[in-house]
Amino acid sequence: MGCEEFRDRMLDVLYGEADTASARAWEVHEQECAACRDEVRALRRLRRDLGAWTVAARAGTAGGGAAARHARAWLPLAAGVVMGLAATFVVAGSQQRVDSLAAALRAQDERHRAEIEALKATIGQDRPGGGAILEDVRRLIRESEARQAVVLDASLRGLAERSDAQRRDDMAQVSAGLSYLEGRTGLQVARTTELMGHVLQASQKK
Amino acid sequence: MGPTDEELVAAFQDGDASAFDELVRRWDRKIHGAIYRVVGSDEDTRDLCQEAFLKAYRGLGTFKREARFSSWLYQIAINVCRDRLRRRRGRIAVSLDDVEETRDGGLRTAAPSPLELVEARDLRHLVEEAMATLSAEEREVVILKEYQELTFPEIAETLEVPLSTVKTRLYRGLAQLRHRLERQGVRGVAPLPAPIP
Repeated sequence: MGCEEFRDRMLDVLYGEADTASARAWEVHEQECAACRDEVRALRRLRRDLGAWTVAARAGTAGGGAAARHARAWLPLAAGVVMGLAATFVVAGSQQRVDSLAAALRAQDERHRAEIEALKATIGQDRPGGGAILEDVRRLIRESEARQAVVLDASLRGLAERSDAQRRDDMAQVSAGLSYLEGRTGLQVARTTELMGHVLQASQKK
Repeated sequence: MGPTDEELVAAFQDGDASAFDELVRRWDRKIHGAIYRVVGSDEDTRDLCQEAFLKAYRGLGTFKREARFSSWLYQIAINVCRDRLRRRRGRIAVSLDDVEETRDGGLRTAAPSPLELVEARDLRHLVEEAMATLSAEEREVVILKEYQELTFPEIAETLEVPLSTVKTRLYRGLAQLRHRLERQGVRGVAPLPAPIP
């Protein structure tokens, strides 16, 4: 079996879906084949990199998104300032001031972390459960059902009108048909009467 | 432990409309993530997410429970994305300027350092660009596998293609991503995602 044939097994192993036999077969092949060994390592690295593609927050959580953007904007800046200040004081050799600054920085760091956690909690409250999307979907469903009800009502009215017109047309046709039949019958009777008259006259002459 | 998706579907089909709300709550984030990665735009994602759930609501009454609900829902989501992309006929446009989530939708737990933020942002941008170069078919498979974490049989069911096709598309997609990212000097620099509490 060549490397091509091991490709599916490699993917199964890579994503943890290989059964024992496949995993064992792949293991043996991997030990023998440097190219496949390198490839699966590269794919594992790639998978880690792909994890960097994170999803943006939806527009419905604009408040949380803006807050998080704001947080991201000041976080590197604040961290840079903090590190710069710390470095300055260390170089100055003032241990006491450094200790005091370190305490202040720790407090500031804790405050920042608390703010970030609060932001995450806010975002987390907005996002899970899909409150916004659920409301939107409900609204769409309501609107859609209202539209369908109007369309159905209009269709039923149209159907009733068409049915009534059809009924009137059918009745008119039946009526015309009856009249025609009556006319035909009357004509037949007249002709029969006339014929009988002729027959009577002929028999009297004899 | 709450009801399974299948139990909620059965409840909905028996007339319990609130079961659908629970399904939306349960799947909203994942469907949102999948749609975002396929179409690459916040505005489109919101519309398409609503459209997908509306279609699901309309179809759920007659949904045959032979297939998994999740596969069926992803199928709807992928189809609304395909329709939109077909109409748009454009390239994927992705915004980088928003809240970060890990690949399974959870928020990062550890605050990253400034350097990590810059590197992660750059890498994210490179990954997005690389993903945008894949064919639609390869991208769908990579997204469903790598970010939605569906199994191979689930992807095959969702996309209605044979298992072998799923693996072929995934392999090609990964190979192309690897080639492109390595050319740009990216070789496994991303840290492992933080665990979700």
